[in-house]
Amino acid sequence: MHDAYSGQDWRAWFAEHGARLRLIARQWTRSEADADDVLQEAFVRFWKHQRHLPGNPNALVVTSIRRSALDLLRRGDRRTAREKVVGADMETVTWFEPEADPRLAALADSLKLLPAEQREVVVLRVWGDLTFDEIGEQLSISPNTAASRWRYAMEALRKHITARTHD
Amino acid sequence: MTDPDHDIEQALASLRPRAPGPAVTARVARGLDASSSRRGVIIAWSAGLSALAAALVAAFVFLGGVAEPEAPQYQLVNVEQSRPDVQFFRPVQMEDGSYARPVRVRWQDTTRWEDARSNTRLINYRPNDQLALLPLETN
Repeated sequence: MHDAYSGQDWRAWFAEHGARLRLIARQWTRSEADADDVLQEAFVRFWKHQRHLPGNPNALVVTSIRRSALDLLRRGDRRTAREKVVGADMETVTWFEPEADPRLAALADSLKLLPAEQREVVVLRVWGDLTFDEIGEQLSISPNTAASRWRYAMEALRKHITARTHD
Repeated sequence: MTDPDHDIEQALASLRPRAPGPAVTARVARGLDASSSRRGVIIAWSAGLSALAAALVAAFVFLGGVAEPEAPQYQLVNVEQSRPDVQFFRPVQMEDGSYARPVRVRWQDTTRWEDARSNTRLINYRPNDQLALLPLETN
């Protein structure tokens, strides 16, 4: 079988892209711990079975993350003691590194306030580096719907930031 | 003419998502290592050159200069991250007149490797200390 990326160092690739992939996983999971589990499972599964496939490896990894997240949700409410501990630390766990720029900090906060269906489109476009066509395939929606959610999200973010700035 | 959506998109792109913790990185490394059956790669990948250098130095010390035909093969066995210690300080005034609260977060990463053949182990403690400013809103 032809391995289109046989020369690629996937460990280095993960080290470079792990942060944004984790943010994507977090959109489809209920806790930081679940996001970590999904990211690990998804990346190893991609590396074992899909790294030799032609096409954009980034989109394949995102697909693998989506699949692993859905698998985890299907496995039901396996709430563990570990997650309860993590839940107690939620105030110190954030999606982004701290920002000194108040506008960026406000933007990071505002992102969490978006409806989930808008936020996942934003995350997939900005950090998943996917087109609206690819986002549509991921979420089983039309590209027009994806673009529409993006526009609503941009409008909402602009309002949030403006409101915060004027407070 | 500037596209306001483009400005927000650019601002979003400048946000830096938090990287996976060392435990996740180690688990991925184990998964890849198990698939490729390339032992030893995990050391350099998960801990970097500094850990590899430490392993070589420690191996030299532990083995006392005994002539070994093969280098020790340390396997990653455990990675832990301590609970973060968070300190909040008094608010400070920024140059633009706004207020922010300094927050200091400290935690420790502990990575352990073992070489079953020589029954030796390496433990790497890495303290982390980050200071950030949380913007405060005033009315």
